[in-house]
Amino acid sequence: MTVTGLIGRMCMFPLQAIISACVALRIHPNVLTFVGVVINVAAAWALGLGHFVTAGFIMVVANIFDFIDGKVAVELKAVSAFGAFWDSVIDRFSDIALFIGLIYLYSTLGRTDYVMVTALAMMFAIMTSYTRARAESLITKCKVGFMERPERIVLFMIGAFTNRMAAVMWVILVLSIFTVADRIILTYRELRETERKAVA
Amino acid sequence: MKRVATLPARVLWNAFFWTYERASWQYDIMVLAILAFVWLTPPDWLRDPTASGMGPLGWLLDPLR
Repeated sequence: MTVTGLIGRMCMFPLQAIISACVALRIHPNVLTFVGVVINVAAAWALGLGHFVTAGFIMVVANIFDFIDGKVAVELKAVSAFGAFWDSVIDRFSDIALFIGLIYLYSTLGRTDYVMVTALAMMFAIMTSYTRARAESLITKCKVGFMERPERIVLFMIGAFTNRMAAVMWVILVLSIFTVADRIILTYRELRETERKAVA
Repeated sequence: MKRVATLPARVLWNAFFWTYERASWQYDIMVLAILAFVWLTPPDWLRDPTASGMGPLGWLLDPLR
């Protein structure tokens, strides 16, 4: 058992109780997804005001909703194509909201350097999702690269709770660039292989 | 001719072209490296606009002083 695996298992205990409560109350997963984005906007607001610890706690709550919606959908047998689409779209809003909160903060502090770092991190975070979505319309699976949404969210929380948001932005930026590059490389290789087989 | 990548080159390539699952030992190492960068890099080096003090490193070192 790895350390991250153990942490994941430990987090599942309280989450399972929340999932069971949502299932018992028959809360529709799409509603949970929407509540998640609304709470994330509040976290973005707190980030924008520089209240990092408050933002961290709000992000924890928001991302509980983000995490459990899929599991509740499975348990309620409410899995649908629209639900997957809705979840994916709303997740992008949540991502962007957090970055905009930070961009606002850095701009009020007159730090154009970090406005640029955060804006670029936001661009590559969105491109991470876009490259996968576009690639998977051409190839079967495009799940490479380290910096996916759960990693980004956990990093945001770590940055907020320990007041190390600048370092977190650099990590998100660099690893998101790598992730986008990985997905482009994989898609290129897979498509070239498919074309080669078609010609042969 | 078959190209033989050296171990450091292979490690660097695998870290860049990431195909490992979450909760693998490679994932643990990557997480450790990221946390070390975030918590141990002095905020001044990054010209962090909001950070003050030593942060988590300070919390660890303070009781030893």
